[in-house]
Amino acid sequence: MKLIPWDYAVRNLGRNTMRLAMSLGGSALVALLILSAAAFVRGMERSMKVSGNAKNVLLIGAGSEESLERSEIGNGVASIVAASVQGIKTQLGVPYISPEVQMAALIRLEKEDPESYLSLFRGVTPSAYLVHPQVRITEGRSPGANEILVGRLASARLGIPDAKLAIGKTIWFDGRPWTVSGRFEAPNTVMEAEIWSPLKDLQIATRRDNVSTVVITLDDAEIDDIKDFCQQRLDLELVAVSESDYYAKLAQFYRPVQGIVWITAILIALGGMFGGLNTMYAAFAARTRELGMLQVLGYGRFALIANLMQESLIIAAAGGLIAVAAGFALLDGLAVRITMGAFGLAVDTTVIVSALAAAFALGIIGALPPALQCLRMPIAEALKK
Amino acid sequence: MSYIECRKLTRAFHKGDTVIKPLRDLDLDIEEGMFLALMGPSGSGKTTLLNLLAGIDTATSGSLKIGGIELTSMPRSRLASWRADTIGYIFQLYNLVPVLTAYENVELPLLLHNYSKKERHAKVSLALDLVGLADRYDHYPRQLSGGQEQRVAIARAIVGDPKIIVADEPTGDLDAAAAAATMAMLKRLNIEFKKTMIMVTHDPKTAAVAQKTLHLEKGQLIENNA
Repeated sequence: MKLIPWDYAVRNLGRNTMRLAMSLGGSALVALLILSAAAFVRGMERSMKVSGNAKNVLLIGAGSEESLERSEIGNGVASIVAASVQGIKTQLGVPYISPEVQMAALIRLEKEDPESYLSLFRGVTPSAYLVHPQVRITEGRSPGANEILVGRLASARLGIPDAKLAIGKTIWFDGRPWTVSGRFEAPNTVMEAEIWSPLKDLQIATRRDNVSTVVITLDDAEIDDIKDFCQQRLDLELVAVSESDYYAKLAQFYRPVQGIVWITAILIALGGMFGGLNTMYAAFAARTRELGMLQVLGYGRFALIANLMQESLIIAAAGGLIAVAAGFALLDGLAVRITMGAFGLAVDTTVIVSALAAAFALGIIGALPPALQCLRMPIAEALKK
Repeated sequence: MSYIECRKLTRAFHKGDTVIKPLRDLDLDIEEGMFLALMGPSGSGKTTLLNLLAGIDTATSGSLKIGGIELTSMPRSRLASWRADTIGYIFQLYNLVPVLTAYENVELPLLLHNYSKKERHAKVSLALDLVGLADRYDHYPRQLSGGQEQRVAIARAIVGDPKIIVADEPTGDLDAAAAAATMAMLKRLNIEFKKTMIMVTHDPKTAAVAQKTLHLEKGQLIENNA
């Protein structure tokens, strides 16, 4: 079977500039929509996955396994663990044990600012940098008294310009100023949306004499050793949770959100697909006589369908590529606020493949029914059109 | 035995409960190399007959043999390749592909065969030379006059060296001068290249170029003028 030359399909695209623009725009839009949804889901999943270190164990107050912010455990737990459990990772004799306060707090940008912003604070000691190796100070230094270290996505989480949290800027919390001493990144983790301060300062500001969690990095020890410790010291009212499991559970919590994002994207994409069908019906119907003529010359219906599909797939591919380029330029890394922080949209290979697959699906589904419809017509009738 | 043989050829269409028969029980013999004109009022069945002879429509009953091959029972896919080998079709409205040049339009039927690029070039050049458009290879249909477009369409019809050329109102959309030139060209193809020509026309002046004119009315032959 002989096919119609490929460049015939390419040249046909230029017949109606408006229709081409509409088809291309529709295809790009559908692909971009799917790309956005996929980037959202992938970004969120990646953030949850990377945030949890398989070697880390969280000690949390019994009954608060669902939320670190609600957890309260004694100030002395960190030193008791260090003394009681063998096999915890150390560096130059310093154990990888980080007592931390995690909380949501309202901050103001000016003292008398009527507007307040809900931010995520983490009170840390220097050992936090040991148990969270993803954290890297990119500007400035770690915070001293009444100073804060600001995550790369913190401003996005607060919905304020990034310049408001530049080094030397001040925020107001608990009626006193906190100066930005540095900035940090922790790629693809929820920590990037946080504000870190010295543990003691945060405890004083919030009038608490306990911590939310103690993060431990294991060396030879197993999580069961930490669980045994929790069982032995029932007086401390602790539970041990693997950091990976904690974030996996958190990811589970966000599954319905991801589902809604997908459903919304697919519904809008379906709308786009029907629009595409309409455009293709019009485009092919306008060429019914020409398609009849090609059949008279001896071209089979399959050759004509293949040719019409080529046209549609060229548009779909171009639309898909436009969407991918736009996705990279506008969406990749774009911060999305969620209650537990913020994460960056991830435009990775899977996301790109999803967007291109959606574009190609649109190209096939949008063109096949109109092509079949046009070619179902008897040749003699087609020639009269 | 005639080159084209129609026996009790009938074409019927169903329109709701009504059966319309644009062609009924037609018997017709056409010799090879004949230039035949089909005339008749609208709805007389002349275009239906032309479409059956060109293999782009199939009869409801009866027999149609061309060169000894029965067309009425031929499957659609084989009919397509038979058309590619046997028929050159000239349309009233030329039906050139607007995005292809004159050269590429003429080349289209050759792409169905296993010719090399060089062979195709030789055939297309010859066809365009024959219709007097050697200097219009790169022109798109919109850059040609109606008469020139029809000449490209003729070149496309003859480029594959088909045995039969069918033409549906080939001069219907042309001015008098272009119509005369087109008919002169068709006559030349018939005489010089021995092509069997079957043409539908409303115009007696055009029909006069043919060797024989058949008149159809209500799907049947009513007159046979040699």
